[in-house]
Amino acid sequence: MSSKRPLEGIRVCDFSWVGAGPSTTRLLAEFGADVIRLESKSRLDLLRLIGPYKDGIAGIERSGYFSNRNPNKRSIDINMKSPQARDLVVKLIQESDIVINNFTMGVMEKWNLGYEDVKAIKPDIIYVTMPTQGSTGPHKNYMGFGITMNALVGIHYLTGYPDKIPFGMGTNYPDHVPNPVHTAFAIAAALLHRKTSGEGQFIDVSQTEAALAVLPTSVMNYAANGKVQDRMGNRNLNVAPHGVYATQGDRRWIAIAVFNQSEWEALLNVMGNPEWANSEKFSSMDNRLDNQDELDQMIEEWTLKHKAYQLMDQLAQAGVRAGVLQNSKDLLEDPNLNERGFWAYLNHKEMRRHVYNVSPAHLSKTPVELYSPAPLLGEHTDEVLKEVLGLSEAEISKLREENVIG
Amino acid sequence: MSIPEGNVFNNMRIVELAGELGGYTGKLFADLGAEVIRIESIEGDPTRLEKPFYGEIAGIENSLRYQYLNTNKKGIVLDITSPEGKEVFIKLIKTADLLIESLPPGQLESLGLGYETLSVINPKLVHTAITPYGQYGPYKNLPFSDLTCAAMGGMLFLAGTENEKPALVPDKQSFFQADLYAAYGSMIALIHAEMTLEGQYIDVSLQESVATAQENAIQTYDLEGRIRRGLGLVEAGNGTYQCQDGYVYIVAAMGSNVHLWYPLVDWMIEEKIPGAEVLRGEEWGKSEHRKKPESMETFKTIFEQFSGMYSKQDLYQESQKRKVVIYPVNTAKDVLENPQLNYRKYFKERYSESVKGTITYPGCPYELEKIPWVLRSGAPAFGQHTNEVLTSLGYSTEDLQSFVKRGVSYVK
Repeated sequence: MSSKRPLEGIRVCDFSWVGAGPSTTRLLAEFGADVIRLESKSRLDLLRLIGPYKDGIAGIERSGYFSNRNPNKRSIDINMKSPQARDLVVKLIQESDIVINNFTMGVMEKWNLGYEDVKAIKPDIIYVTMPTQGSTGPHKNYMGFGITMNALVGIHYLTGYPDKIPFGMGTNYPDHVPNPVHTAFAIAAALLHRKTSGEGQFIDVSQTEAALAVLPTSVMNYAANGKVQDRMGNRNLNVAPHGVYATQGDRRWIAIAVFNQSEWEALLNVMGNPEWANSEKFSSMDNRLDNQDELDQMIEEWTLKHKAYQLMDQLAQAGVRAGVLQNSKDLLEDPNLNERGFWAYLNHKEMRRHVYNVSPAHLSKTPVELYSPAPLLGEHTDEVLKEVLGLSEAEISKLREENVIG
Repeated sequence: MSIPEGNVFNNMRIVELAGELGGYTGKLFADLGAEVIRIESIEGDPTRLEKPFYGEIAGIENSLRYQYLNTNKKGIVLDITSPEGKEVFIKLIKTADLLIESLPPGQLESLGLGYETLSVINPKLVHTAITPYGQYGPYKNLPFSDLTCAAMGGMLFLAGTENEKPALVPDKQSFFQADLYAAYGSMIALIHAEMTLEGQYIDVSLQESVATAQENAIQTYDLEGRIRRGLGLVEAGNGTYQCQDGYVYIVAAMGSNVHLWYPLVDWMIEEKIPGAEVLRGEEWGKSEHRKKPESMETFKTIFEQFSGMYSKQDLYQESQKRKVVIYPVNTAKDVLENPQLNYRKYFKERYSESVKGTITYPGCPYELEKIPWVLRSGAPAFGQHTNEVLTSLGYSTEDLQSFVKRGVSYVK
């Protein structure tokens, strides 16, 4: 019988914290890896201190920001400042397949847990490090966040309106998708390599470089043509109209994108073939691209008279690409996402029933399964020490008395 | 060019049905050494027509996005709706580990080439399908683009504050997100196939891929009943501010964490910035205080007196020495000149016969010790490998000529 969890039996010794690291190990845990997070009450994961909190009441076991990044994982409370902690970690590494961290460079080395040290402990280990800027170079020790990575790689400069200061995407985007998914892909590649060769390896992810890998054209354009691309709102270099338009209601917009003449005709039909659209200014794609200020204004005058979802339905039926700018409430109520089971509700000891997303990659024979909510800090300390490391109750009590574990 | 021995990707064959989606999925495999055979229709991949172009000259080989997404791949032209095209496709599938496609739901089935059929031909096949809203669900047939998927997946709504109209992130991030999840899901399925000889079907939705980048917005509604918008300029000490030569993005404020706040304030005090002492007050450690409009204004006035004296790159480098987070809002030019990226030789250059010039590409997103990322070849020209691939499948020169004559294929 084949395992229905493709990563069952793979253990991850997870030093990572905050955004990109835990998002990466979530992807492993979803497919059945045993991810053991090393946490500490004396050095809390910053996300435990950032809301939203259950019922708006702050608490280290109440953050939804933390919880959605950590389902299916176990947590042990270990004080790395204690000299005996390293011995425990060595034992855990001996039972692990993957060791991962997203500290700034030097932290793991300070504990004598750099790649060479760990390889000596477990020769076929897959060792993953994901500092913001890679493990070599003049900025290797730099600290930063997803949102500052946006600024560094050029996403921020390019996202906004040309006549305003750049706003950016409004999130720590590289932490959510580009960094974790690239890293998880690399880890899966290394696991496949180990299956066929028996070898482990070192994986170095520079978070900046992984983010830039999905922002190719502006740097390629500058290198090839000397052009510094500027931000352009919701417009597109190739086609028009291509925009976001206000509709009835507060903060209600619809996105409309027209890629060719027949889609333009279809849009005109839905609009009731208004007289203004007969102008030469809008007769071809090139002319529409040249007259976008006026074009967008005329379209918005029309969209403002309509409700966003009704308009989307009408446009879709006519074959026009359109989508409502959905907010978080809309997403939770979205009929497509719900029919596909994208939202899962898990019962957490302190937060009770609350929402998680599942993976957007639906594997027919080995689907992702969320079977446990985010762990309480140290929830599995005893369980892991007993079951994985084989320690006795007496040994565990002694470690607790000596403040090695919490 | 040789691929180092012992590389697991070395023995992997991937068939990619070319479209706007899936290109990055194939690239991730191709760049690690897999053989990726990309099948273009007679009309060609629409990405070929996208600006910006190399040399700013329109042409089917000149799109920079096309060039980026298809490095290290082979490209053939084939009409898989024709009987001969189907036969070639099925021969390829017999030898493939992974199929990547992004046709509208049901289209491959209607051609008699759905997963039910393919999995009989090749039980170990991993079949990865990428679509805007998934294979089933009420929205599965909605017309789409990157903009509409960014909207429906919730990313656009977050890119603004208050009542401001949001702006789209560049480079079709919704496509990249789905392609990334498709690549990861495919790797997991390939691991499973390696262990069990069992292939499977993977349904990847753009809308869902985008919705995984909601940060804490979903939980903010679920747990607190609030609909949030974007970070930045909603709280003193987090967001974009002006400096001497452009903008910087700072993170000094972060929930109830204050370890980044005081070092910045102390730096400004050291530089004798008028009013900086005020920011030492305990109330500034609290998010509620920093979110007041008057607090935001006070901070901005004080901070910009300081930042206005320095360039974005100087602020960036000096801030790191002081455990303060100030990042430059870089243009493409700044990015190409970044000393760290250049030290690490991140950007790769290669002469391209297709564009008759040297193309600079972003390089590897990760470095694997035993599986090197190598730029072996640029993107294939239209029909470049038709001859090579079809010949290897046993077709004769006459067969090829006949295919071309009847519009089933194209040979460059």
